[in-house]
Amino acid sequence: MPAAPLGPLDPAQGKLLFSQNCVNCHGVDATGEEGPNLHGVPAALGDAAVAGIIRRGIPGTGMPNSYTLSEQDAANIVAWLRSLDSAPLPPAIGDAPKGEALYTSAGCSACHMINGFGGDIGPDLSRIGAGRGAANLKARLIDPGANLPKPAGGFYGNNFTQYLMFRAVEKDGHSTEGIRVGEDSFSIILKDAQGKLHGFRKPDLRSLEKEPGKSFMPSFKDTLSSAQMDDLVAYLVTLKAAP
Amino acid sequence: MKRFFAVIASIILFATAPELRAQGVTYDQLLHADSTPQDWLMYGGDYSSQRFSRLTQINRENVRALKPAWIYQPNHLGEAPVESSAVVVGGILYITEPPSTVTALDARLGTKIWSWTPRLPEKLYTIGVHRSNRGVAVLGDTVYVGTLDAHLVALDAVTGQVRWNTHVDDNNHGYALTGAPRVLNGKVIIGISGGDVDIRGYIDAYDAKTGRRLWRSFTIPAPGDPGSETWGKDMNGLGGGGTWGTGSFDPDLNLVYWGTGNPAPDYNGSQRPGDNLYTDCVVALDADTGRMKWYFQFTPHDTHDWDSIQVPVLLDALIDGKPRKLLALANRNGFYYVLDRVTGAFVAGTPFVTETWAKGLDQNGRPIPNPHSEPTREGTLNFPDGHGGTNWNSPSYSPLTKMFYVSSREISAYTVSGKDRVDFPGFGGGGRITLGGDEAYGAIRALDAVTGKRQWEFKTLAPTEVSTLATAGGLVFSGSDEGNFFALDALTGKLLWDFTVGGTESGSNFVTYELRGKQYLVAASGNAFVAFTLP
Repeated sequence: MPAAPLGPLDPAQGKLLFSQNCVNCHGVDATGEEGPNLHGVPAALGDAAVAGIIRRGIPGTGMPNSYTLSEQDAANIVAWLRSLDSAPLPPAIGDAPKGEALYTSAGCSACHMINGFGGDIGPDLSRIGAGRGAANLKARLIDPGANLPKPAGGFYGNNFTQYLMFRAVEKDGHSTEGIRVGEDSFSIILKDAQGKLHGFRKPDLRSLEKEPGKSFMPSFKDTLSSAQMDDLVAYLVTLKAAP
Repeated sequence: MKRFFAVIASIILFATAPELRAQGVTYDQLLHADSTPQDWLMYGGDYSSQRFSRLTQINRENVRALKPAWIYQPNHLGEAPVESSAVVVGGILYITEPPSTVTALDARLGTKIWSWTPRLPEKLYTIGVHRSNRGVAVLGDTVYVGTLDAHLVALDAVTGQVRWNTHVDDNNHGYALTGAPRVLNGKVIIGISGGDVDIRGYIDAYDAKTGRRLWRSFTIPAPGDPGSETWGKDMNGLGGGGTWGTGSFDPDLNLVYWGTGNPAPDYNGSQRPGDNLYTDCVVALDADTGRMKWYFQFTPHDTHDWDSIQVPVLLDALIDGKPRKLLALANRNGFYYVLDRVTGAFVAGTPFVTETWAKGLDQNGRPIPNPHSEPTREGTLNFPDGHGGTNWNSPSYSPLTKMFYVSSREISAYTVSGKDRVDFPGFGGGGRITLGGDEAYGAIRALDAVTGKRQWEFKTLAPTEVSTLATAGGLVFSGSDEGNFFALDALTGKLLWDFTVGGTESGSNFVTYELRGKQYLVAASGNAFVAFTLP
């Protein structure tokens, strides 16, 4: 039986489905949160391509498949996203060139890499503008360890928290604190504050504790003004290097 | 004990026979599968589906020396991992590969003898169905397998040539075959997949020689038939009741026990008021006629996709001093059940994972749902998630420890209610947002088989849909979603050995067998099968 032809598009239904399935990552107004801003995306990629992504996901990214949504459902979501293009966007906040200068002066590149330049302790930021919304980025500058991203993906959606910090204590008392970069039921790999990797077998450890809320990244709450953080975010959202 | 020594003697006898011996698995051998543990004759090990082996060469004392013997990697990588439970007969190991390929390997060497792949249509409807296969059945010199496009096929065990090919049903309406068949005396029993669309589920029996259908036992009543009153006025766009697991068989009672899947649409029950019989049940069928002798429904009016196709494990035990024939089943809905397998009467039931949707079970085993546990348009949070407290993978039961070993999932999900009727090829009538990641975990749990009381647990990082295998060596084998294969002490749950197999163990059903005096264990892992033995 061929797929049923699509019925009339229903943007209101699409908005409801978006609120049920997509808002956690893309934000209630689709301007991006943990996932990217979607305004203008159907115009850039085409409706069919976006509907396909909604159902199939993007392997290797946080975008999960949603086969529970029918082709009609996906088309309705795209119809709602289309309707946003005619609505005025909220005014841009922050000054990107000023933010770029701040990025350098605040020392971000000691830990972060952009297009091959910088440190490798924190996440690479070359495409951060394609993957996160402005509000999400500003929240990270204020409290880097809070609400760490949980990408979808992995078999059965084992969306483990990214950048979660752990403290591993070996049987001889030697202690290592680091960001989890890999884990299975019997082993864990941590990256320490110098970017060095440490692999442990769990049965060999005296203790292994999660440190929720912690981050190697400092908060900029007291060192940057809110306007400066807006500038920095304005710069970060321009970073959309080709994958 | 006398019988046990007879077993040992027969192992030594067979160990001296060097030739591969694919031919002639008799029904009598199948009836006494537990007395030939050098083979692994069928899904679940024997008709009781205990997935227990009497082999003891690999045991608590030496398991730490276990080493890989061979790895088999299918050439064609499917969309789903390998999920096959192997059958081992006379030195030949029969597995299936995604989507519907059957392969025969030399069980000692891992060398391929033959493969058979059906020509599948370009467009397959597999809504809610893994594009994989859970295994074959062997009777006489014939291997039986179901295909994704819903054909039941008989292959010659030596060459892989097709003996017969029966078209079971229309894949264009969502019917598919993924479960391993169960062979009885001259019959092949198989269940159907596709219960997330408005199919009318059934369990079928076919003549093992000819492929002719002998009986069909529907799991969804026809409009007007008894049971249809549990579906509301109009059954159009409703249905389900898939039977995609593999059932068990009690030859003395001549009853086949088979689990049934969820009603459709999955998450919206508004148009199907009532219990929706015979979904989410275990049904007991007369093996000769397919007539239903009794049913027990675990989740009346399911709105969470809690298929009850888990393997029914048959065991005998004393309760209040009386010998009882029991059926144990750890259900996707989070409860462990013990039933009287003669009558279907409820004996005991208790949660084996965190569950928030029911206050408990009443004296007949019927759940007492919590208010506000039904899915809504905004979503309702409940433990367990849609994949359930455990899923289709085999648990095991050791008659030595009297424990039931089950892969358990501690995970919750928001369930969202959508369409109230299935609009094929649509799905589900809603969806779910699973809270996985660091908020969830898995565990291998040992339950007292009669009471369900937890005896021990061994935690894994992520919730895993994996079998357990218990052995007379005092071991329980299982795996993790991340790709670890491990051995636990069957009495205490203590970790004795582990090995990184590097591909998910979700979908793995472990088997063990003995050849030329060496015991082997086979685990599926991602896209591979890995065999282990002692050096």
